[in-house]
Amino acid sequence: MTQIAAGDRDALRQLYQATSSKLFGVCLRILSDKDESEDVLQEVYVTIWRRADRFDASRASVMTWISTIARNRAIDRLRARGPLARAEQIDEMEIADGAPSATALLESAERVGALQQCLSELDERTEKAIRTAFFEGVTYEALAQRLDTPLGTVKSWIRRGLMKLKGCLEP
Amino acid sequence: MSDTGPEMVEPEALAAEHALGVLTAPERAAAELRMASDASFAQAVDAWRVRLGPLASEVADVAPSDKVWPRIERALPVNDNNPQLARRLAFWRGATVGAMGLAAASLMVAVYLGSRPPVVIPAPATAAPPMLNASLNTEGGQALFVASYDPQRQALIITSLVPPGTDPLHVHQLWLIPPEDGVPRSLGMVEPGTAKTMPLDASLSQMAHEGSQLAVSVEPMGGSPEPGPSGPVAAIGALGEI
Repeated sequence: MTQIAAGDRDALRQLYQATSSKLFGVCLRILSDKDESEDVLQEVYVTIWRRADRFDASRASVMTWISTIARNRAIDRLRARGPLARAEQIDEMEIADGAPSATALLESAERVGALQQCLSELDERTEKAIRTAFFEGVTYEALAQRLDTPLGTVKSWIRRGLMKLKGCLEP
Repeated sequence: MSDTGPEMVEPEALAAEHALGVLTAPERAAAELRMASDASFAQAVDAWRVRLGPLASEVADVAPSDKVWPRIERALPVNDNNPQLARRLAFWRGATVGAMGLAAASLMVAVYLGSRPPVVIPAPATAAPPMLNASLNTEGGQALFVASYDPQRQALIITSLVPPGTDPLHVHQLWLIPPEDGVPRSLGMVEPGTAKTMPLDASLSQMAHEGSQLAVSVEPMGGSPEPGPSGPVAAIGALGEI
């Protein structure tokens, strides 16, 4: 990352080769549109290039940092379609979870395992709501419509679930 | 049957919701603005991003089309190749060795080296010139490589104490720098966690004498694209009789 911050294009290219499939998967999952996801992916790596000096290895892994940038860019793009974007489930673009990949190596297996364990300790519906929100980047409103549950209830599930998750991750 | 217990209170709840990504466009913009001016809120959002981030590893990889990288390359602002030593050394400390400690690194090397046949050095003839040794250390004084030069065989034996698999995106390139001209000559790549014997040709072995420096730089795959090191110097040390 420091080499990228210092202006080393080869270092960025290597990061792209190692991580673009993961980040493209993250964008595609949120946007369900190949062209838009490719536009976002381009923005993401240009952002990484410009902001690499702000990366702090003591605070986050490279994968967490760059996938956060990708999610944020993709969610911003999704919001441009309005707050109820993707309130309907889109089946044909559904992408499977849980496929381990080479890029998983860039994230500590221990941290992934701990998070999965803590998520599985939540109510099934709470876990599902949190996962859907994370993977698809939808608003509370869209999520409530999707789950056919009042907005206040969904909000309460997620807030309580996140609180429990925090306690589970940091006992 | 339901997740009971207290709800989070503000601003923690807002930080978590922003990190999860459930806010509307105006709420997101407000949260980003607040992060810029409220450090504790920004920290709370970052902490939630770190907590939830590993979930991204569950998303299946999908290869983007080949058109994307050339588009990225064209969009990069021109600020290339502005090396800053301090930053580069910080990279090495932070990303490569860090707090893992030399003990762990040495142990891995010991285990690794124990599993392979010893390097056989022929018995020296009478009045053989002495072996020269070097410990290649980081700026912080940590030994990352050890080297011995055998003038009899005109070969350099280099051992990497860097744990294997530490940095899959880069290679470690060894350089010989004679004090006469101070120009680095590449001796080749050193795999993390391995020992290697490198025969030196006549002109290089002339340069391998007491006081000559050995250095290892961190380079892109395939080694430095330049005649000298292009990446940060990770470790350096001088040859001497020990």
